[in-house]
Amino acid sequence: MRLIQRIAEKPILFLIFILALTSLLIGSIAQNVALETDLNKYMPATHPAFAFSDQAEALFGIEDSILLVIEHPQTIFNEVTLAKIRDITLDLPAAFAEIRENGVTSLYTADNITGSEWGMEVESFFSHDIPSTAAELDALRDTVVANEMVYGRNVSKDLTSTLIIAEIEPGSDSKDLQKRLISYAKTWEGPENLYVAGRPIIEGALAELGPADMLRMFPIVLIVMFGLLLLLLRSLRDTILNMVIVLIGTVAAFGSMTLLGIPIYAVDTMIPVMLVAIGVAYGIHMHNTIHHLVQAQPEIDKGTLIHLVLQAMIRPVFMAALTTAIGFSALMTSQVLPVRYFGLFSSIGVMVEMALALVLFPVSIQLLGIPKIKKKIASGNRKKPSHALGRKSNRWGRFVMRRPGVIIVLAVLVSAIGIYGTQKVWINTSFLANFEKDSDIVLTDDFVNSRFGGTSSLNVILTAKEDGTFKQPEVLQAMDDLQSVVLEHEMVGAGFALTDFIKRMNKVMHEDATSYGTIPEEAELIAQYLLLYEFSGDPTTLEKVVDYEYKTANLTFQLKSDSSAVMSEIIGIISSHEAGFEKMGIGVRYAGSGYKAFVFSELLLDGQIVSLILSFGIIALLLTLLFRNIWIGLAGTLPIAITAVVNFGVMGALNIPLSSATALISSIAVGIGVDYAIHLIEHYRNQRLEGVSIHEAVFETIQNTGRAILYNAVAVMGGFAVLMFSVFPPNRQVGGLIVLNMATSALGTLSILLVVIIALDKRGKFLGNLIAGTSESNADSTHDIENDDTEIKEKLTV
Amino acid sequence: MKTYNTRMIGMISLLVLLSTAPLAAQITAVQVMENVYSRPNGDSMAANLHMTITNARGATRERSIAQFRQDDGTTEKKIMFFTAPADVRNTSFLSYSYSDGRKDDQWIYLPALGRVKRIASDKTNDSFMGSDFTYDDMGVRHPAADTHTILREETIDGWQCYVVQSIPIDPNSNFSKTISWIIKDEWIGLKKEYYSAKGNVEKQLAIQAYEKIDTIWVITDMTMSNLAKSTSTRITMDEVSFQSNLKENFFTERQMTIGPRS
Repeated sequence: MRLIQRIAEKPILFLIFILALTSLLIGSIAQNVALETDLNKYMPATHPAFAFSDQAEALFGIEDSILLVIEHPQTIFNEVTLAKIRDITLDLPAAFAEIRENGVTSLYTADNITGSEWGMEVESFFSHDIPSTAAELDALRDTVVANEMVYGRNVSKDLTSTLIIAEIEPGSDSKDLQKRLISYAKTWEGPENLYVAGRPIIEGALAELGPADMLRMFPIVLIVMFGLLLLLLRSLRDTILNMVIVLIGTVAAFGSMTLLGIPIYAVDTMIPVMLVAIGVAYGIHMHNTIHHLVQAQPEIDKGTLIHLVLQAMIRPVFMAALTTAIGFSALMTSQVLPVRYFGLFSSIGVMVEMALALVLFPVSIQLLGIPKIKKKIASGNRKKPSHALGRKSNRWGRFVMRRPGVIIVLAVLVSAIGIYGTQKVWINTSFLANFEKDSDIVLTDDFVNSRFGGTSSLNVILTAKEDGTFKQPEVLQAMDDLQSVVLEHEMVGAGFALTDFIKRMNKVMHEDATSYGTIPEEAELIAQYLLLYEFSGDPTTLEKVVDYEYKTANLTFQLKSDSSAVMSEIIGIISSHEAGFEKMGIGVRYAGSGYKAFVFSELLLDGQIVSLILSFGIIALLLTLLFRNIWIGLAGTLPIAITAVVNFGVMGALNIPLSSATALISSIAVGIGVDYAIHLIEHYRNQRLEGVSIHEAVFETIQNTGRAILYNAVAVMGGFAVLMFSVFPPNRQVGGLIVLNMATSALGTLSILLVVIIALDKRGKFLGNLIAGTSESNADSTHDIENDDTEIKEKLTV
Repeated sequence: MKTYNTRMIGMISLLVLLSTAPLAAQITAVQVMENVYSRPNGDSMAANLHMTITNARGATRERSIAQFRQDDGTTEKKIMFFTAPADVRNTSFLSYSYSDGRKDDQWIYLPALGRVKRIASDKTNDSFMGSDFTYDDMGVRHPAADTHTILREETIDGWQCYVVQSIPIDPNSNFSKTISWIIKDEWIGLKKEYYSAKGNVEKQLAIQAYEKIDTIWVITDMTMSNLAKSTSTRITMDEVSFQSNLKENFFTERQMTIGPRS
């Protein structure tokens, strides 16, 4: 406190210091800011599921691919379209550095293995010389229709469209790839339509759109909040101070990130959201106290005012910030790296905001004097609103006092509904769900899914103990059975495995007789087919489905949805076959980016729940220590619990997917909830320690702290409501959930927490040993506080 | 795949070369490649091939093949019998290559299927037995298919070599160019690099061992590395003989089902 007072005595020096520090941090941000768009960097590489998937991806060359669809109004079997297929296939690796040389698959590159009475033929469907006569084109069409390895997979069943699949070089930056691909595709259009789809496109668009939209919307959020604060606080000076606090807090968080060389992840757009929502509270409470002190004592001098404000506020503001920061630190237990960083740097931001709130207000008093203008307005115009507010808070106070039962029942009911909704929280990392239903990206995806196997994929990795296992007929038969079962699921469009090659070879070697489209029964025949395939087809094709030792196999399923809920269903089907494979000494595991996203979403939810529970424990403990009363510790977590439960409940009820951004919003419950609780408890306790009756303390607290809480909630809600008009659905959800969380926190604090405190107080469990003064340490602290309080009272009455 | 005629042309050009020997310090690149093309390789040959294919992860597959070849000047006939691994033993492969430009005829015999099947493939760049070698690599490319330039001369293993760059005339060729190291006066290649369309070395052929058997140069150990895919194939040869005197009916579908005994 002395330190702050000393700082306040040299305000200009301090302001220069802050300005210098802030510009240093902004400089660091400007120089080192790098947005991390590679979703693989978000996943914990050491997690067994991710490590295994990465291994399998390397083994089988499983890459996310870009799907280019060429659609012709009538049929792709015409000279011009076929030439385009050839030219695009050859041109793509040259036109895009991200696309692998030899990584483009199309009807032009595919092998057509056919059988006849006299033997076997391996040919391209069409070569460099494009068929031009009607007879040649018809023959090509018939060949495609007859080959189940391309018909319905590379060429749509209505023959109007075909796929060109381009593998992306791993680790390449797909930032503006979508834009470049779309304009590239445009150059080939007419009469054909070209579409671009695939996971890298969606990921790229998402990683860019989210932060870009937030950057666009955030200034509007701040402007609206500025206007609301100006209206509520009726002080330009304090409104500006509030905004300065939250802005510097945000700069401090991002600045320390870039100083430490940590990249900015997409979820970090939630850091300013948190810091603005929480930081505004500190300033409002400071303003509120100054306002009340000046109102009670219009002739107060600068020094005394600063002293009194600090005396009243250091403890609650510091406690609120500390508990929030420690609550956020609980996120560092998450296995998801960006969430850990979010926890750490939000904590730093919160502490900086706290320090600024405690210093900047005294500095402003020192520099600009006692807020006089406000006082004039207060003494003149303020009476009416003050009365209105006073009347309302009186009414609310009476209700809290007389009908605690109603509030308790309501709170239990809301919690119960919340818990019910929570069970329905839609764990869904569907990237597509983030886009509007009528956006180009969703429409293209729907189109590709309706014509082809599917834009998403799941890789099932079968691992045996012995070499050569996947040449065994019974093993291949079991794989084939599994494939048939999974393909029955409506969202599974196609499957692709070693079995498809063997069945095709068996059929071809038996004069293309459909009855031989099966797995042969002799192991030697399978080995010989595989040998034959190796030297008649492209041997690297087999490496995508089985490893060199025939010990590990890769089954790929094409899915028509990227929702992790669909993934979960399909994994459920597959795992029911696990026991059968186990008997043959084969383990069943999964790989691919879709699967990793699925595991990621589960980690995210688990981590969020663990960190919330941990935060509850930490906060209960801290409150217990701070107030030296376990009952207060427990009661203080009530608003947080209700806010978190309602948050997840509403998410569940409205089918808002749990993404890395929406999962983090429940942390706001911790940050805001604990803040409100501390201010409310502190104020009420101070009143009671001053000897005020329970009844009056309730009224006084509602009128004083309650007002600050309401102002805070209204300003933040109003600001973030702006996000609900964002063009980017996830940001709309963030906006809506912030509004919801602020409302629940404020209502929960002013209702159920107050009711519980009154109940505790009436039973002598609130002030308990403070008044009795049983233990020495308690007596000491009581003494300190009483000293402080009497000091304040003395000053007030002077 | 060589014809009597081309060999004659080779011989004649060699004679012309020799006759102008004092002036031949400035041999042309085309002449170098024609000398390579015309180097005698025996009319009939038998050998055991051992193939080790290594994939990008370093896993290997071993294959052993008994190979017989006969060239009557118009048709080169080859028959190959797999001797290892066990599950493909006696699988055999027969091919006729015609000097008049007709498509090759190819047959496969799978013992487990019990039938000989013809294979038709329009892919000349097809991998040889699933290795990093293509059928093209196993034969000798006709000099007229490329335009050649001598880049420089270098000494490898004590041999004076011409370094020849060959750019395919067909624009749709698999490679943008190849560079070969050819031993002066022996006309055997020691090293070859294949360049991709983007200008990188995509494949590299290295000769580890070569010896003269019955006055004919035979490469007995070579490795083809695919740098783009990080795979490689090593082929070693033993029991090479040029006096196999195989009967005409050895290169038939019937022989495929019997095995390598004559």
